[in-house]
Amino acid sequence: MSVEKLSAELETILVKRIQADQLVLPTMPAVALQVQEILKDPDAGMKEVAAALEKDPVLAARTLRMASGASFAAGSKKVSLQEALARLGTKTLKSLLVEASAQKLFVSRNAQINGQLRVLWEHSVAVGVMARDVVALTGGPDSEGAYLAGLLHDVGKPVVATILLELERQLTEVYQRNWIDSGEWLQVIGKVHRAVGVALAERWQLPPAIVVCIKDSAEYDKADRAAYVNAVCFANALAKKSGVFVGTVDAEDNDAIIMIGRSVMGISDDVLRTLTKGLRERVTGLYD
Amino acid sequence: MPAILTVDDSRAVRTIVGKQVKELGFEVLEAEDGVQGLQVLQDAQVDLVLLDVTMPNMDGPTMLEKMRAGGNKTPVIMLTSESKRSIVAGAMKQGITDYILKPFKPEELRAKVLSVLQGETSGLDSLVQSEPSGGAGPAPEAAGGVGLSSGPGGSRFVDILLIDDMENVHKKLRSLLPPHVTLAAFTSAQQALAACRDKVFKVVLVDTEIPDVNSAVLAQQIRVLQPHAASVALSLRTANDAAGEVKEQGFESVLFKPFRPETIDDFLVHHFDNQDFLLVDDNVLKVADFTGKADRVERFYTRLHSVYPAALEKIAAACYDEAILDLGTPPGEADKLAKLVIAVTGKSKEFGMSLAVVGPETARKALAGFEETKEVHFFPTVQAARGG
Repeated sequence: MSVEKLSAELETILVKRIQADQLVLPTMPAVALQVQEILKDPDAGMKEVAAALEKDPVLAARTLRMASGASFAAGSKKVSLQEALARLGTKTLKSLLVEASAQKLFVSRNAQINGQLRVLWEHSVAVGVMARDVVALTGGPDSEGAYLAGLLHDVGKPVVATILLELERQLTEVYQRNWIDSGEWLQVIGKVHRAVGVALAERWQLPPAIVVCIKDSAEYDKADRAAYVNAVCFANALAKKSGVFVGTVDAEDNDAIIMIGRSVMGISDDVLRTLTKGLRERVTGLYD
Repeated sequence: MPAILTVDDSRAVRTIVGKQVKELGFEVLEAEDGVQGLQVLQDAQVDLVLLDVTMPNMDGPTMLEKMRAGGNKTPVIMLTSESKRSIVAGAMKQGITDYILKPFKPEELRAKVLSVLQGETSGLDSLVQSEPSGGAGPAPEAAGGVGLSSGPGGSRFVDILLIDDMENVHKKLRSLLPPHVTLAAFTSAQQALAACRDKVFKVVLVDTEIPDVNSAVLAQQIRVLQPHAASVALSLRTANDAAGEVKEQGFESVLFKPFRPETIDDFLVHHFDNQDFLLVDDNVLKVADFTGKADRVERFYTRLHSVYPAALEKIAAACYDEAILDLGTPPGEADKLAKLVIAVTGKSKEFGMSLAVVGPETARKALAGFEETKEVHFFPTVQAARGG
């Protein structure tokens, strides 16, 4: 089966399942979901949040690390989970929950795809970091929102990868033949991931501005230059140009996106020169 | 005078562009479409074309294609409301130098026009780092001297950027810095980033405990805007292994709070070059006030000995007959002070200048105790020294 045909068929199947609400999408981890519910209550205190968060040691450790570890407040004394939550604030905690939940999607027990999912995660982190920096450097009001939008722009890909893996298992057993190679595998994912990503974002009740980025971040929004989608589109092209990407890149097309983005975002060449410096090192191994 | 051709079917755009370009001192030629544009290129010497995409008769991409096919390599900036990447990619293949999306800010137009005409444009390959570059480590040493700055409000050059949510920290640091070291202090990350877009800083101090601010991320963003500034973390003295942790985050070093005069002295010694210790103002050599501990006196004088010859040379080059050495508040070690004055007097003579010394009464008494310096021309103020 050709890549085009497989993509088209898979897309049809997925869209039908999404429309009929029959697509089995990964849920947010139970603890993250519970914490999100608690945070919806304006009267809830950090004590209750901490009690819920303690049930997921990895998530709790990540919260502590962000609040008192290397990335947030250097050298400060060790703090309790409740103190850490107070320091981070509700907005940062919500962002952390989504980030941690999304990262779990990029891990597979299958060694065949785990390596590629890891690179895909690094690309997502790179786009998040670049989008955040671009918004902050151009005076935008919510650079952390841009980070999340960049981080999640490809969130449909690992979900499609998992579905493909299952299909492979079924088809190879039925037809006793080899499956598509890894290059074709990535092409198929590239063609169908957006619809799945949007469905997932809606299931996770992500903000509409983030859903827009998952739906299509390939073109700029001229009407609203401050939109997240512009920062994500630009950041995505920069990450690809920097080599933090898995798959093939149309270099001319990507350069055009960067050329346009410099003007859309108001980024000077001096800033651009240093913006991507050391990007690979900044994202490699993050949150292992 | 360089000539710029603006090709756009909108009279309003041509007028706005023309005004901006004329203000830069360039001649402006106009065309309403690609046909007229090609004609102007045949008739006149043009240094840069500002080209719209969608126009009647002949659109921008067609005009560009015909220009290149005819061997015309004049630089082109695409100035358009078209943001489709396929169109821009096509224009890039034809060798456009830059791209501006309408509506545009005048400063973007001016910057890109000047960049092209001054030959400073560089391809995207050189703008985006595609090779591993060794991480987001410490920025290179800062360039430029402290003497350039007249203060955060008026000058583009400021010595220190401080970001700390506690205003008292700003006041405390200001009180410990010498007057000539300029400081811009902010309580929020956004204010600081805005300042970084306008000013050039030599050292950036970032508090690691600003609420809701990831200091490592903020420092990284500031490094993008201020690549030559040294990045220093501000941390509490009680912190565990703060020095190691801030280095992991890409800071060059750490400055501890609460501030102590001796650590500020170390900070100044490390980040500001020797000119800070000996400022030249007309024919006056002004020695910075000594604020450190007693064990730093030796280093203080050693550094002065290493920098005064160049400062004296500067005064001699300005044809002064006399140099004035203003000692400020020197540390109380008479023999070291006398050695300095003897050395400066000798060097002044080599340059054909006499030397007057200005300082407090304690310094006068100290110098009077040595045979070689008891006859020195000593005055209580610079004004008195100038009056002879």
